[in-house]
Amino acid sequence: MHEATREVFRNFPVWMQVVFYVVGLATIGFFLYGFWLRYKKYRKGRDAGRFNNLGSRFFKALAAMATNRTVYKRDAYAGTAHWLIFWGFVVLFIGTVIVALDHDFIEPVFKYRLLQGPFYEWFSLILDVFGVLFIIGLLMMMFRRGTMHLPQLNYQRPDLEPGKYDRSAYRKDDRVFLWLLLLIAVTGFLLEGVRIAADGTPEFEAWSPAGFTIAHWFGNVDANALHHYIWWLHGIIVLVFIAYIPYSKAMHMLLDYANLMFKDDMAARRLPRVSEEKMKEGMGYLKLEDFTWKELLDFDSCTKCGRCHIACPARASGAPLSPRDLILDMRTFADAGQPTAEWFRQTFSNGKKANGKKAGIAGDVIKADTLWSCTTCMACVEACPVGIEHLTSIVQLRRTLVENGTMENSLQDALMNIGDYGNSFGQSERMRAKWTKGLDFKIKDARKEEVEYLWFVGDYASYDARSQNMTQKAAAIFNQIGMDFGILYDGEKNAGNDVRRIGEEGLFEMLVEDNMAAFESASFKEIVTTDPHSFNTIKNEYPEFGGSYPTYHYTGLLCKLLDEGRLKFSRKLSHYKVTYHDPCYLGRYNNETAAPRKLLEALGVEFHEMRRCKENSFCCGAGGGRIWMDDSKLDKRPSEMRIEEALEIDGVNLFIVACPKDYAMYSDAVKTSGNEDKIAVKDIIELVEEAL
Amino acid sequence: MNIIVPIKQVPDLVEELEVDASGKGLDREWLKLKVNEFDDHALEEALLLKEENGGTVTVIALDGEDIDKALYAAAAKGADRVVKVTGDFEVPVPNHTAARALADVIKSMDCGLVLTGVQSVEDRDGQLGVLLAHYLGMPHISVVTHVSVNGGEVTVHKEYGGGVVAEYEATAPVVLGIQAARETPRYVPVAKVRQAMRSTALEEVAAHAADAGAGSSVSRMFKPESGGHAEMLQGSAEEVAGKLAEIIKSKM
Repeated sequence: MHEATREVFRNFPVWMQVVFYVVGLATIGFFLYGFWLRYKKYRKGRDAGRFNNLGSRFFKALAAMATNRTVYKRDAYAGTAHWLIFWGFVVLFIGTVIVALDHDFIEPVFKYRLLQGPFYEWFSLILDVFGVLFIIGLLMMMFRRGTMHLPQLNYQRPDLEPGKYDRSAYRKDDRVFLWLLLLIAVTGFLLEGVRIAADGTPEFEAWSPAGFTIAHWFGNVDANALHHYIWWLHGIIVLVFIAYIPYSKAMHMLLDYANLMFKDDMAARRLPRVSEEKMKEGMGYLKLEDFTWKELLDFDSCTKCGRCHIACPARASGAPLSPRDLILDMRTFADAGQPTAEWFRQTFSNGKKANGKKAGIAGDVIKADTLWSCTTCMACVEACPVGIEHLTSIVQLRRTLVENGTMENSLQDALMNIGDYGNSFGQSERMRAKWTKGLDFKIKDARKEEVEYLWFVGDYASYDARSQNMTQKAAAIFNQIGMDFGILYDGEKNAGNDVRRIGEEGLFEMLVEDNMAAFESASFKEIVTTDPHSFNTIKNEYPEFGGSYPTYHYTGLLCKLLDEGRLKFSRKLSHYKVTYHDPCYLGRYNNETAAPRKLLEALGVEFHEMRRCKENSFCCGAGGGRIWMDDSKLDKRPSEMRIEEALEIDGVNLFIVACPKDYAMYSDAVKTSGNEDKIAVKDIIELVEEAL
Repeated sequence: MNIIVPIKQVPDLVEELEVDASGKGLDREWLKLKVNEFDDHALEEALLLKEENGGTVTVIALDGEDIDKALYAAAAKGADRVVKVTGDFEVPVPNHTAARALADVIKSMDCGLVLTGVQSVEDRDGQLGVLLAHYLGMPHISVVTHVSVNGGEVTVHKEYGGGVVAEYEATAPVVLGIQAARETPRYVPVAKVRQAMRSTALEEVAAHAADAGAGSSVSRMFKPESGGHAEMLQGSAEEVAGKLAEIIKSKM
């Protein structure tokens, strides 16, 4: 009986082994060259400051990769298939490394063969099992691409008519990638089978169940003669695959781990500042070297999975923006100056061939309309399984548009108003607290009296006629439950959250300085705001300017007061059947999804979630300055789609919001979509008022 | 060609205006100022002309509250020179005085076009352009909505009431009162203004002490009084005209 083992170069003449090693080394050289070119490209980028906490970054990314958590999220089918392919590949790769180590190192040096006896048997079994899982995963993916007709995979561009662009190269790459992997696996099993057959199908090879089964198919064939052919077929396909990796979508196997490792958890939540030197040159991104290396890595990391494409409210409403196409166009642009570009060359959205030297990035490579379509809702960043930070690049490019004055008049007016009066409404600063006139008590001026909570009211809540009503209710409730609070009156200015996301960094800095001066002049312990947009920037961005304040959204604060027993409801509102819309800047940006739900539970309403909720909430379309831009060209407003989504739930009659902009947007949407008789919009604060 | 654009700061009508104790002017203590909207259009038109034909743009203003900010903003937008005429000026400066002081400085400059705003909210007479043209000895066209320059030839559109537009031709130098620029005045990012504040040389020229007189004087300033006594005159045109004449006579 044979000892359980196998020969690596079975019956190979020496010259054949030499040829294999030479070709193999050349392939690895080609592989390394491809990555070296990419590395050289990233080296052109600016510093991204991502080398802090390397240990925790390493392990967090490792955990995300090992579990395939980010791929599985919201797509169990693709996640499962990817997990099978991923672990199949990893195990087979480790197996190959063990074979190489054993044959080329351990055996020649230590005169000991690792792959024999029980170790070899278990080795064979594990590799066979994972090889089969690998094939199952690949077949699932082929089935998904071939038959499911998923919108995220059809490469349809929202900014161009069909026929005006060509994505056939991407389709080719998708197919080549899957087929190469499948062929490697299939020829691997055939090779194993033919080797076992040539060895006379010894019993211990039953530890390779797949190979053992296949060996029986070769019953009457001269397996010995066939073995060389299949060995070389398998070997050549593997070498082709290795050479193909850095020039194709297969590069994600290596790059995307790095991208996950170097991603910023605060990306989009806290936008990058512009240095003094950069301000002089022009505040946005003008050339490839202006991007950070992480942003350049982002462009290469995209696997075209399309999750951002289907999550994007701009894309869904027919605006000319798909975060995926934006990233891919940037990749095409970034690779245009490379000695070898992406293997499957693309053309720009405007049909021009990539020309890295002449094209202006904001406006030419990425159209101004595309950049202005973004609602900065962060759904793309949240959906991306590989840590791409689309929003940072979008805002950086918007900065160039602002610098050049490429924007709608209405947006320009809003910016000028904010610059002149501290609010987008173009009303006097002194009218900011006019809404307080409707109250039967006086709100403390935090600049004159000490308060526990400084209420940052925000523009919409202060000036918008419908929101003012809500603001008065909030004030009455804060007063009724005995909160010690004050406001800044005319000392408050627009917090700047959306100004920054429009790309007007200088104005944002001015607003931060003014607001922080007002904060400094006041005496308070904590900040509370009714506006999620203000909440985000004060909490996440002001600290970089030296203003760290404990900050609450009012839902979080009311929840805390509820826990402490300072807020009590005297009535249950069980007659309402409600759904709740998570504001982007509260749920997705700041992970505050629990407090509003806890309040709703305490209020006793009948609560139902929408299809998309919490961090997967669907934007109303007002963020990032969109509220000041024309939305009449959209096929359908995101806010109207959202109302229809709420109406999918049987019998829901209240659409609950927790953001003044949402209140304005959805009140409109209910009317324009003709659903006034079916559903009404209310802020949580109104329910709290009813239940007190 | 050098294009000269005089600008000024005027009260921002977003704020509530109060008449001061003298009863002859605005209470300026809490007044918020902004660049005269028409001047902003004149500057925009000048910048567009510069972008089309080359040349330079010089923005000039009499000293006054917040004027530096306005001049730096103009520099940030693309003005090549910004000049502040210093002196002890009455507030608000009457157009006669302003035109005299500005003309004295402009005379010493290379000048192809002078673009002023057609009027301002604080004007008594809307005559700045006319007076400037007088002191500079140049032709003047007002209520201009479109300017094109071809060598020394200037073609402009002048608006008349009832939607009538006339096309005029003039030979530079010429003074134009701009009603509206071809495009909305451009937005200038705050960072650029701040940068202009650091890097722009704000030239200062002292005004000659030559009083041109105010041309008119204010005897009383007051808020519009709501009447509520509207009376509709009925009858044929002749009858209405007769009644109207009677009423006017009785009120004089």
